[in-house]
Formats: sequence, C-alpha cells, structure tokens
Amino acid sequence: MSEHRRQILQMLSEGKINANEAERLISAVEEPASARSADLGSAPTKSHPKYLRVVVDSEDDGGHDGPTKVNVRVPMQLLRAGVKLAALLPAQALRSANHAMQAQGIPIDLSQIKPENLEELVEHLSDLTVDVDQKDASTKVKVRVYCE
Amino acid sequence: MIPFVAVVSLRNQQSRTFRVWIPLFLIWLLLLPLGILLSPFIFIACLVCRVNPFRGVAVMWQILNALTDTKLEVEHRSAGMSFHIL
Repeated sequence: MSEHRRQILQMLSEGKINANEAERLISAVEEPASARSADLGSAPTKSHPKYLRVVVDSEDDGGHDGPTKVNVRVPMQLLRAGVKLAALLPAQALRSANHAMQAQGIPIDLSQIKPENLEELVEHLSDLTVDVDQKDASTKVKVRVYCE
Repeated sequence: MIPFVAVVSLRNQQSRTFRVWIPLFLIWLLLLPLGILLSPFIFIACLVCRVNPFRGVAVMWQILNALTDTKLEVEHRSAGMSFHIL
C-alpha cells in the first residue's frame, strides 16, 4: 500500500474526510501512476545505447592555462567484451583487482559482474547520467558521464 | 570488424593540425605470425591459470572488434589531440 493511500485511509478513519472525498483522493493519487504505467506500455522499445560518453570541461578562471576539454567515446561493445574478459579472470586476480580498487576508494566487487547480468547492466547504463561540478578557487570542472 | 586504421590528430599552438593515419591492419598482419608462434605458450599459460584458452581467444577477438569507433579528444587552448580508431 502506498504512503498516500495509507494517509487518506487514516484521515477517513479519523473522520477528517468522508467516504466520497476519500474515494476522490485515492483516484487522484492513483491516476498519475496508472497513466505512467499506460505510457510505459504504449511507448516504443527503448533503443540500445551504442556509446558511453565521458565529457570533461575544465574552465580556468585564473587565465593561466585556458579551458581544457576532454571527450571520450567508448563503444558499448567494448564494455560487453570487457565484462566477458573479467568473467574469465581467475579468482585470485579478481581479488587483487578488488583490493587495488578499494585502496583507491572504489568499492566495486568485480566478481559480482557476470556475463549473465550483462544486458541488465547495459540497460541500466542507458539511464545513467552522472554530472559532477567542481568549483575551485581558480578552476571549474564539469564531468558528464552518459550513454547515447 | 576489427579496426583497420587509427587516426591521430595533433594541433599545436599555431593552430596547425597534423594528422597521422596509422594502418592498424599492417600491425595485425605483423602480429598474426607472432601470435601463431606464441600460441602454444599462450595455450599453456591459459591452462596454468585455469582459463579456457578458446574462450580467452574469443573474448580477445571481441575486444579487438569492439575497439572500432573508440574516440578520445583532448582540447586545450594551446594544443589539442584526438585519437580515433576506425
């Protein structure tokens, strides 16, 4: 049961609203959810992303070096092949890689990335957009990671 | 399809751009006999590491194929560089 629905029923039980008002409120709350699910049902299937993009914009306010732009485009196929390669690595090598990444502050367990979950991973990546803004005294850095 | 050419573009302070086409297919042709010669050792190394050598070769082939269309660009006021695998 959703939180809104529970609140409406509680108001009804407390006598704050009558049954008609409760019904109207519940239908009003449920309408956007059903409309959303109907939209999802009728929407065409989402196209698969082809590339993972990393864009870094660095603006130097101090005027010493000037702005720097980095633009990286990695095919998703490379990501897929990389996951398959990671699945082939011996457990000892994966453990070493995990330790090395954790030492760098990246808490990712490579042994959990399996080819069986690959399509799900790629599908979720298509919704991924990471925007990082860093404002320093002299530089502004904007990092954007997304799929296209 | 495996990448055949890589294009490296370099721009200097005078905005002059140098473009270098690297024929990767020549590198693959050179590496092919080397790979054939080294294949017994690769096979043994895979067995020692408990990796299926055929799957290993298949995955490496997939990685090689997937490199096509990889692009890296770095632009700066004074210089710029781009690397594109075709």
